[in-house]
Amino acid sequence: MSGRTLFEKVWGDHVVLRSPLGEELLYVDFNMINEGQSFLAFDQLRIEGRTARRPQQNLAVTDHYLPTINRDRGPAGIANPEIRRVVEMMDENATEFKLPHVGWWHPDQGIAHVIGPELGISQPGMLITCNDSHTATHGACGVLAVPIGGGNQLRHVIATQTIWLKKPRTMCIVVDGSLPNAVTAKDVILAIIGKIGVGGATGFAIEFAGSAIRAMSMEGRLTICNMSIEAGARIGMIGPDETTFNFVHGRSYAPKDADWERALAYWKRLSTDTDASFDREISFEAAQLAPMVTWGTSPEDCSPVNGVVPDPSEIGDSDRRRHVERALDYMKLKPATPLQQITIDRVFIGSCTNSRIEDLRAAAKVLKGRKARVPGMVSPGSHGVKRQAEAEGLHQIFLDAGLEWREPGCSMCNGSNGELVAPGERCASTTNRNFEGRQGRGALTHIMSPAMVAAAAVHGQLSDARRM
Amino acid sequence: MQPFTVLTAVAAPLEVAKVDTGMILPGRYMRRHRRPGHDYGEAFLYDLRFDEKGQPNPDFPTNQPAYRDAKILVTGSDFGCGSSREGAAFAVLDFGLKALIGSSFAEIFQGNCVQNGIPVITFPEAIIHEVWRQLRAQPGTEMTIDLPNQTVVTPDGSVHHFDISPLRKDRLTRGIDDIDVTLEYRASIDAFEARRRALISWLPTASRE
Repeated sequence: MSGRTLFEKVWGDHVVLRSPLGEELLYVDFNMINEGQSFLAFDQLRIEGRTARRPQQNLAVTDHYLPTINRDRGPAGIANPEIRRVVEMMDENATEFKLPHVGWWHPDQGIAHVIGPELGISQPGMLITCNDSHTATHGACGVLAVPIGGGNQLRHVIATQTIWLKKPRTMCIVVDGSLPNAVTAKDVILAIIGKIGVGGATGFAIEFAGSAIRAMSMEGRLTICNMSIEAGARIGMIGPDETTFNFVHGRSYAPKDADWERALAYWKRLSTDTDASFDREISFEAAQLAPMVTWGTSPEDCSPVNGVVPDPSEIGDSDRRRHVERALDYMKLKPATPLQQITIDRVFIGSCTNSRIEDLRAAAKVLKGRKARVPGMVSPGSHGVKRQAEAEGLHQIFLDAGLEWREPGCSMCNGSNGELVAPGERCASTTNRNFEGRQGRGALTHIMSPAMVAAAAVHGQLSDARRM
Repeated sequence: MQPFTVLTAVAAPLEVAKVDTGMILPGRYMRRHRRPGHDYGEAFLYDLRFDEKGQPNPDFPTNQPAYRDAKILVTGSDFGCGSSREGAAFAVLDFGLKALIGSSFAEIFQGNCVQNGIPVITFPEAIIHEVWRQLRAQPGTEMTIDLPNQTVVTPDGSVHHFDISPLRKDRLTRGIDDIDVTLEYRASIDAFEARRRALISWLPTASRE
């Protein structure tokens, strides 16, 4: 019998039963809930008279709709009444359904995918769900983390602590070798998406492996898994190792004492067996990679920063050509323009992709002693990250550079809290999606690493972080 | 949820193709609570049913007296395409519709309707066009949907057979949703949970402060 992959082991450990129709019922160890569309699930549960099966295996987190200013005034500080109402509904629903809640007032408040790992909730071998498409982030901790819909699927998880899923196929993406200077996890995942496309991993659970991934910190690994969905995969995982164990150890929810030893023994058995095979394997050479930026309206529309805007007339595939034509029209870019000649209007550093302490350190390193030529804001991923950054004086570097130092939340990544890029404004952003209108109607988004956003801020145009 | 077996009711023709979920439930209603008495019925196809001044559009079938009690809507192709918003199915339900018949429906929307007890029945376009013609000829006529026997009786009395997945038919006729189906395995879940908690005793549990 051949060996099993990390994904197959963790999946197998959660199967309650198989239906005759091929779906499997999986047990959910922990469920995180944001205020997005979750009120639909709670409304329906209320109408049906249902309750949460295991309230304490849930954590409501207010992150999407909370503005990053005026926090001291609570919901009263939220100017838009519809946004305020969504924040209040999360408070009410968490209370009514007896769910633990990291709300606007909580000292640990932050983005769900930042605080899960930070608090030690995200532990190897767990199955975690969340009503957010970037849930795979937790996979960096060896978690089988599954994004679910905010209505029916969330309602089902709350009521039953289980989820019906069809088992995806397995894909291994191997990145071997050493990353060149100033090439970060964000550049690696953008290069992967650029190569395999936004549908390249649809229907697969990805495992990221190889010496370059092994050498990454947990922050970098979280960035990698975070963008699995941008390659089409709902699940992305990294085998737990000493880096993972050291990261989890001592955190609030981490196992302690005798439990720690037992947990460690279990976690060490989860890694993919040497004789296991994947349905698909793809390899990348770390040494070949460069800092990346997007030029279009899909994360796959990316290029090394020393490249140029592509020319649609040179693209053979007609669907791809039409997409690129439309993307360049939306982005107001001309073919063959060197990417480093694209001027920007603002920057944003934050989001579940790049708002952890290492991200802020990387941006601050570039900005130290320099001024930003454009306005912008920095939103740390959590209050934990914010406290750490302030202890290190990073906030002062951002403020001295002329950027705003904001409170934690999803903020300008999708603007559901009202913080938007203005129509026609061009933003260098550490976020995950450059879709049309993602950061606001008519907003022109270029996504890249924190160091690259910082370099763009300093020059007022897309720039190569390697030269800073 | 109400079981669905046989329904005889007034059918209204909605002769519009590609009615997307953004039309079925306009985005501005999406931040609304859905509670008994304050439902999504008002939102259902609001911009088709009313003009810019909020006056009922006389061309919309259910604004006409003959179709006022319609419980079946006979729709154009690709009904429910676009965004996956689950609220669109709530809007159909809250508006008082019990079944949808059409030539094609978006897959996600179809699943959401079944989840809420609304059968979504498809026929070839030619049959739908003929049904529209019959409904127009005699506004307010009734049609019969027999789910157990998988047939629809059109206004002219002809009987048409339709296909539906056995799983969906079972859920609709028993009036159960996905949670009810899962809870039929409650003993297995309980046993699994007890085993897992014994084995992985350190699993994190949050607490309300």
